[in-house]
Amino acid sequence: MSVEQKRKLITCTNIDKSFKVPEGIHQVVSDFSLEARENEFICLFGPGQCGKTTLINLIAGFELPDQGSILVAGKPVTSPGPERGVVFQNISLFPWLTVMGNVEYGLKMAGVPKKERQERAQKYIDLVGLQGFEHAYPVKLSGGMRQRVGIARAYCIEPKVMLMDEPFGALDAQTRYLMQEELQRIWQTEKRTVIFVTNNIEEAIYLADRIIVLSNCPATVKKEYVIGLPRPRQYTSPEFLALRKEIQQ
Amino acid sequence: MNKKQKNITELICAVVSILTFLILWHIGVKGELGRLMPGPLPVIRMFFATLFGGTIGSRTMIIHILYSLIRVMAGYFLGAAVGVVLGLSMGWSRLVEAVFSPLFRIIRPIPPIAWIPISIIWIGLGEDAKIFLIFLASFCYVTLNAWSGAKNVDPDYLRAARMLGAGKRQLLFTIVLPASIPSIFAGLQVALSSCWATVLAAEMVRSSEGLGWIIIAGMNNNDMVQIMTGILAIGLVGMLLSMIFRKVEARLCQWNKSGS
Repeated sequence: MSVEQKRKLITCTNIDKSFKVPEGIHQVVSDFSLEARENEFICLFGPGQCGKTTLINLIAGFELPDQGSILVAGKPVTSPGPERGVVFQNISLFPWLTVMGNVEYGLKMAGVPKKERQERAQKYIDLVGLQGFEHAYPVKLSGGMRQRVGIARAYCIEPKVMLMDEPFGALDAQTRYLMQEELQRIWQTEKRTVIFVTNNIEEAIYLADRIIVLSNCPATVKKEYVIGLPRPRQYTSPEFLALRKEIQQ
Repeated sequence: MNKKQKNITELICAVVSILTFLILWHIGVKGELGRLMPGPLPVIRMFFATLFGGTIGSRTMIIHILYSLIRVMAGYFLGAAVGVVLGLSMGWSRLVEAVFSPLFRIIRPIPPIAWIPISIIWIGLGEDAKIFLIFLASFCYVTLNAWSGAKNVDPDYLRAARMLGAGKRQLLFTIVLPASIPSIFAGLQVALSSCWATVLAAEMVRSSEGLGWIIIAGMNNNDMVQIMTGILAIGLVGMLLSMIFRKVEARLCQWNKSGS
């Protein structure tokens, strides 16, 4: 029991969240509960505006829930913090910093000496396959490369949890497949607990240990699938397609 | 290669357009108009004759230019420094904004030259009064742009920085300040032309050197060539200033440009 308890890294219990809008009160999340174990890759899968981003914002600490509690590594979430790395849909790199500057930013804020933080940043720049681009500014990079920097930046603060909010949503289809493969490789090299939000079912089946299907606004858990397929997965294997069919209906 | 060709074409166009203008000017003043307006040749001749050698009043042209420039630079940098600090503080802190924005909103629409009489009464006829006027010209534009730059920082940058562990002070210096730089530079550029205009007005009111003085002295002596030479110098120096400014900006805001 205590071992089981220890390995639970994220515990969301009965979360409600609503926003004030001109028409009244808009409930975005209703009675949402989730438990994530260490190094588990969880995909939150749901339709367009179903409140997935709000869930990420809540776990990240950018918003606070109206009801319910969120514990990460046993501590309640009250504000953003470096034990939870976030990869944003719109990437949000700092355009005035180079690739190196972006990746080492978190360590710099933490006061890590220059030599050490550059070595650590270099490790993650290499991990995402951007060696040679350390001194490039984000404006010169393609969308896929920018999101690699976004992943390296979040990894570099060595968080326990990675929160990814449709990180490949703005990429073209081909780059998206490539980035899914890359993310899987990165995650297998440097295991973390990942909460990955997507509205793309293939992406979810390709990446996830467990898929949580959300209902449309307000978001609540509709169904859950444990994906046991061996990695790396084939998008066109019969098991993959069967799962896809099952989840999609 | 292509870029080089383009540059050469642009250079040829520039030379042709300036030459055409000078020729039209030269022909235009041949008739009756010539009594009121000198041709381009005497003006250019006077400009180069007085640049280092001959004098206008008691000084060479380059000294007059330096007088005006030093006044501009003193007021400009002073105003820019105060403006950046005040503007960023107003954009960052609601309290600072609430205290300063009403005052600033009243002061901002007053053109700097409206302060000339008061500056003379308060500060006198010396350099300080001129620098005070230029300070005002620079300060208003820079404050306004630093303020709006800091207020309009993309909230996603702030969220990303908080996620990476930045504290409040770190947010101000590592996110708000750099993110506001393009806006601050736009303000600095307008401020520079405004300062250049203000120094001329200030010198026209009271001074014994500088480009503004050259024009006023020319008017008092009924010397049209001197007036036009002063105007030519004002244009040339203003053009040089903004060229230098753009070079500095391109250097410092490298990250903001997708080209080159």
